[in-house]
Amino acid sequence: MNQIVSIGTSHHVAPVEFREKLAFSEEQLIESLHHLRESYKVDEAVILSTCNRVEVYGVANSQRTAESPVKILLDFLSNYHRISVDTLKKWSYRHHNLDTIQHLFRVTSSLDSMVVGESQILGQVKDAYDFSRSAGGAGTILNRLFAKAFSVGKRIRSETTIATGAVSISYAAVELAKKIFNTLEDKTVAIIGAGEMSELTAKHLVANGVSKVIVANRTYERAVKIAEKFKGVPVAYEQDLNFLIDADIVISSTDAPHYLIERKPLAEIMKKRKHRYMFLIDIAVPRDIEPDVSKIYHAFLYNIDDLEAVVASNLKERKQEAVRAEQIVSEEAKRFHDQLQILEVNPTIKALHQQFQQIAETELQVCLDCTTLSDTQETAVASMTQAIVKKLLHHPVENLRHAVNDGNADHGQYVQALQELFALDDNNDKEQE
Amino acid sequence: MHFLFLVTVLVYLAASIFQALYLAIGERTETSTLRPRIAQIAFWGTCLGFVLLTLFIILWWSRQGHFPMKHWTDSTAFFAWAITLIYLIVVRVTQLRAIGSLVIPGAFITILISYSFSRNTSALPENLETYWLVPHITLIFLAYAIFFTAFGFGVLYLIAEKSIRDKKHTVFQNLLPSLGASDELGYRCTILGLILLSIGIIIGVVLKQYIEGVILNWLDAHVFFTVVTWFIYVVHISFRQLWGWRGRKAAYSEIVGFIAVLWTYVGVKLFLDSAHTFR
Repeated sequence: MNQIVSIGTSHHVAPVEFREKLAFSEEQLIESLHHLRESYKVDEAVILSTCNRVEVYGVANSQRTAESPVKILLDFLSNYHRISVDTLKKWSYRHHNLDTIQHLFRVTSSLDSMVVGESQILGQVKDAYDFSRSAGGAGTILNRLFAKAFSVGKRIRSETTIATGAVSISYAAVELAKKIFNTLEDKTVAIIGAGEMSELTAKHLVANGVSKVIVANRTYERAVKIAEKFKGVPVAYEQDLNFLIDADIVISSTDAPHYLIERKPLAEIMKKRKHRYMFLIDIAVPRDIEPDVSKIYHAFLYNIDDLEAVVASNLKERKQEAVRAEQIVSEEAKRFHDQLQILEVNPTIKALHQQFQQIAETELQVCLDCTTLSDTQETAVASMTQAIVKKLLHHPVENLRHAVNDGNADHGQYVQALQELFALDDNNDKEQE
Repeated sequence: MHFLFLVTVLVYLAASIFQALYLAIGERTETSTLRPRIAQIAFWGTCLGFVLLTLFIILWWSRQGHFPMKHWTDSTAFFAWAITLIYLIVVRVTQLRAIGSLVIPGAFITILISYSFSRNTSALPENLETYWLVPHITLIFLAYAIFFTAFGFGVLYLIAEKSIRDKKHTVFQNLLPSLGASDELGYRCTILGLILLSIGIIIGVVLKQYIEGVILNWLDAHVFFTVVTWFIYVVHISFRQLWGWRGRKAAYSEIVGFIAVLWTYVGVKLFLDSAHTFR
């Protein structure tokens, strides 16, 4: 019987020091996929290698390989990366059939990701699958499995809200800006001070349409340097905050020990800009912007804690949704597993039918050749043989299907027994080809 | 025909419930699959209601034999029709559905009032039988409906601004239009409404002179308050142009403006005497 197995490691079970040892480069991927097929007798394989996870999916026929398929993948990884099997066992997870399916569905649904609901993983799995397929790795079963995994991933994202709501400070700022401004196009963002977070936020804002960036720093040289990254306008500020007149979004992250933007001067500035909305984001600690600024008409102030609260509430929301998503994944995995098994036993059932049919027809012909029957009698005998075939096969076939549907692991043995007892092997192979 | 009207009222009731549900169920997790369906039902329910109401007004018109604008039934039915029309246009142009949660229940209440008066009909006074009456009344009621939509955007603005300032995640925060959008749309509605109202008033004045040959009685309560309403909106727009009265102030004046409209439309007719009174 065909077994779908996987072995993998991720940020959940192993530190980066171990994950990097298992990572595959592109050339290594081609080589490994070839290796798996030729030396390890794995029928189909897909290898996924990202910064957070390395996973090998394989399909092997348990009748043809002496060892268990999981063991084969384990040996392969251990030999390829020269890591002892014990270490590998300690830092990895191994799945088998239903568990493999469920695991892959969880991965593509981003339920297994560091940030639940992130969108990258679906693309990464797609790339890995496309690569393995073009390298001859994936075949009928993995093609079906991955196609289903992608559709489950999409279903989860559209039917649950695990992928909505910003889960990083910078995205939370962008989302808030979108709630204030009709459009971000033709808006101007001003970054005061330097800092990774403020630059990242500005970058996201530009990606969302903000057209102009003002970079303010105490020294003009620093401002010029940072402004280069955004093609922004450098400004040096001393006492003068007049550059804020043009700014619709202000991100402040200086290390100044006192408030940089106070209520009174900002009120003046707001008057000069005719009270167009101003969204101020204070991510500095100690704070740069006087909290009372939020009392100015049309000035909206969020500090680092406020943004973090938004992120926390979104994360909580996603976690609740994840429970629902897990349910969907389980159902889909079970359904897919059952379908796959039905497909597994179908050739056997077909072969059995064919064999019985053939015998019945041959014997019927022999009988009809020796006797002289009227047309009606001939028809009666013919339909009688048909009925006998049908009734003889009814119970075995039904029971085999039941064994599959009940999730009975023995159906593999049933198939094997049927094939051996009725000598179906030859027929079966022909059928598959 | 009475049956048709009853069906219309019921369709509006259903549409209103779904429109209100659309906002009310918010973004709670279990509703993420439900909400698009509710939005669909609400929208198509509203469309159906609109078609039925149009049909009813046409039938009513042909039965009355004159443009149906003298009676409470007529005017409120037409008002509900105009509100729905403006809503459909706004949704078509902007894709912002949240406004429906406010204006469609409003339209339902209006049409319910209409229904409760629908048993008796009356003829127009002889001297009002004129083609000028049609654009006069149509324009003014369209203006009222647009002002009602502006009022809706004002309310949405205030809710959204409060939730942003309070830094709290309200259940339907993400369903509301952005502050900028509510403000802009409210403003555009106000301008459009004011233009229609102005033309309507001018036609009314001409109507008066054409029929009676006299200059309008400015102390007629209805005329007086219509001009007051007109003035409120003119002030609102000028302040915005001159001193940048946007956002919250604009939202408040949209609300105040509509209260004036409501007073002119309903209050004056109930409490004061006017040539425009419905019977």
